[in-house]
Amino acid sequence: MSFGDQTLELARVDLALERRLGESFRIIAPFALVALAMFPMALGLRITLVSEIGTAVFWALGILFGMQVALRRSSTDDRERRDLHALLGVDPAARFAGRVLAGSLLTTAFLVVLFVAMVLLYGPRLPLAAAPAIALSIVMVAVGLSELGTLAGEIAWGLRDRTALASLIVAPLAIPLLVAGSQTFEAIAAGAGILPWVLLMLTTDLALAVAGVAMARPLEEATR
Amino acid sequence: MKRATVLVGVAALAIAVGLWLALTAPADALQGAFSRIINIHVPSLWLAFLAFGVTAFGSIMWLWKKRPRWDRLAMASAEVGVLFTAIGIATGMIWGQRVWGTAWDWGDPRLATTAVMFFVYLGYLALRGAIDDPVVRARRSAILGAVAVVQVPLVYFSVNMFRTLHQTQSIRPDGSTMPREMLVAMLVNLAAFTLLYVALVVARMEVAEAEESAAEREAMAGAEVKPPRLSEVGDV
Amino acid sequence: MALLCSLRQVGVSLGGKTILRDIDFDLHPRQVIGIAGPNGSGKTTLVRTLATLVRIDRGQGTVLGADLGTDQVYEVRSEVGLMGHRPAVIPELTITENLEHVCRLAALELSRARSALGVVGLEDAARTRAGAASHGMLRRLEVARLLLTRPRLLLLDEATHGLDSSAQELIDALIARTVAGGGAAVMVSHDAERLSTSCDAVMGLAVGRLVAGA
Repeated sequence: MSFGDQTLELARVDLALERRLGESFRIIAPFALVALAMFPMALGLRITLVSEIGTAVFWALGILFGMQVALRRSSTDDRERRDLHALLGVDPAARFAGRVLAGSLLTTAFLVVLFVAMVLLYGPRLPLAAAPAIALSIVMVAVGLSELGTLAGEIAWGLRDRTALASLIVAPLAIPLLVAGSQTFEAIAAGAGILPWVLLMLTTDLALAVAGVAMARPLEEATR
Repeated sequence: MKRATVLVGVAALAIAVGLWLALTAPADALQGAFSRIINIHVPSLWLAFLAFGVTAFGSIMWLWKKRPRWDRLAMASAEVGVLFTAIGIATGMIWGQRVWGTAWDWGDPRLATTAVMFFVYLGYLALRGAIDDPVVRARRSAILGAVAVVQVPLVYFSVNMFRTLHQTQSIRPDGSTMPREMLVAMLVNLAAFTLLYVALVVARMEVAEAEESAAEREAMAGAEVKPPRLSEVGDV
Repeated sequence: MALLCSLRQVGVSLGGKTILRDIDFDLHPRQVIGIAGPNGSGKTTLVRTLATLVRIDRGQGTVLGADLGTDQVYEVRSEVGLMGHRPAVIPELTITENLEHVCRLAALELSRARSALGVVGLEDAARTRAGAASHGMLRRLEVARLLLTRPRLLLLDEATHGLDSSAQELIDALIARTVAGGGAAVMVSHDAERLSTSCDAVMGLAVGRLVAGA
């Protein structure tokens, strides 16, 4: 079976499991929405300030909770399933790619929900014409977060503190994504070009993809 | 422990000389005696980056050669590095509060990168602490060390794309902005701190090696289970 | 004929503990070898070593011609079939979905999953979630998987433990088919008596060492 077919099948099963477990949209997303509602409440009725910080809060919460989506329970296999996949001849790089694919879709959906809620609750100044640029930045950050989360989830696989430990590993390394995402929105609001920030996201996504594929076999060995 | 003891002794001597030079050199005209803090701040940050580089190097060498000493080097460098990173950040914040009027300058890529590195170190050491199997620990932390070294420069670039307010680097090839004595003191301290780093890393590696061989001696699978004493079941 | 497995002075450490030491083991085509040993003697680690899933720390070995500890193992893994002491299933998927997942990854037609389920007697349980199925049902599901993937090297770790006689017969039939196709099987159990009925030879494993006869 080809690399692409394996990737698609593994992503399909990850998504099917998430549909049944529902962690991303039944637990993580509501939690993130509560967090989103807490900032304006903490600020009181300073309406202009709320609308100013909207995009920044979106990206900070998007990164923090988006990585929880990337580290969700259905993104980890027990030892038996790892053995099964290994003995079915699944390429470790395809395991990485499949997981990143499923994670990117879920994280993108999560960020879209969070973004819509932010627009409704904070009323930021973002022109409608910028929708494609906003969508592009959301997708690219989702891919990067998913790559980082998959790598960190594998590194912390099988450990008792997997989710907390992987979050600690992901958070500092996700700073380029946070900066690029939030600066894209700043640039949109200021009517400036977004190209440098898109290039930064692209570089980060590609660097993590290369790292994930290069480390796939050593990681597979490290979790035996 | 011999090698490490000698190194620590030499490093302590060098630090004493560096400290004496730092405290006797003429003070900066604008910042006064306060500027002497750079004698700790600059060497600490230099070591923070050096230690991070050495951890990455040890990680990659372990992945390539699979020799335990490369893992010990990566671990020892990370443990010592996290200490110097903390000292570097703390002294930088004290200096910044005094000279810039603010402890933290968000537009400075070096500051942000150092802070990120500090948390990467913490994650790296937390990961090591969570794994018992020495080979699994070596492999997974080596992978993290190798991935982090790709990602940290991106942090630098991303923050660098903001505007930077930081003062330019103090050492320049064409004529220094510092008085000569201050420069000499700082260079001596740089050397002394580097020696201290080497001494601490070597000492930590020796301790780790001793720990590993002790753990190996007592680890015998299946040896802990003895046949049950069935005749005594009634006495329990 | 070439050996299917060959281990020479193999040692394995896990979690900082030596689990296997000085293991010498040969497996010829059409052979069924049993390995008996008490709890904690290293049986599962030995099986996973033969499945190329555990790194060896000392000695050398080949499995299906691939040197252990090299990337050659990736080439032969799909010819190894493992029935571990815990069933390898995804609990949130149904029995059919589990088998279809295997078919897709092994590039087999999906219709074969359904007929294999019939062979092992699970057609009525096809829509049961694997997490809600009994141990015996999951074992039958694993037999169906191994019938589909046709491994040359079959490794069974406490596979018949706790099974009714018809499920045990099913596993014997799986072994018989593997051997008839030129493959070989290794069965591991704490129950030496049960092994002696299905195996050509039984070896003993005690505190990580392999000894002939049990």
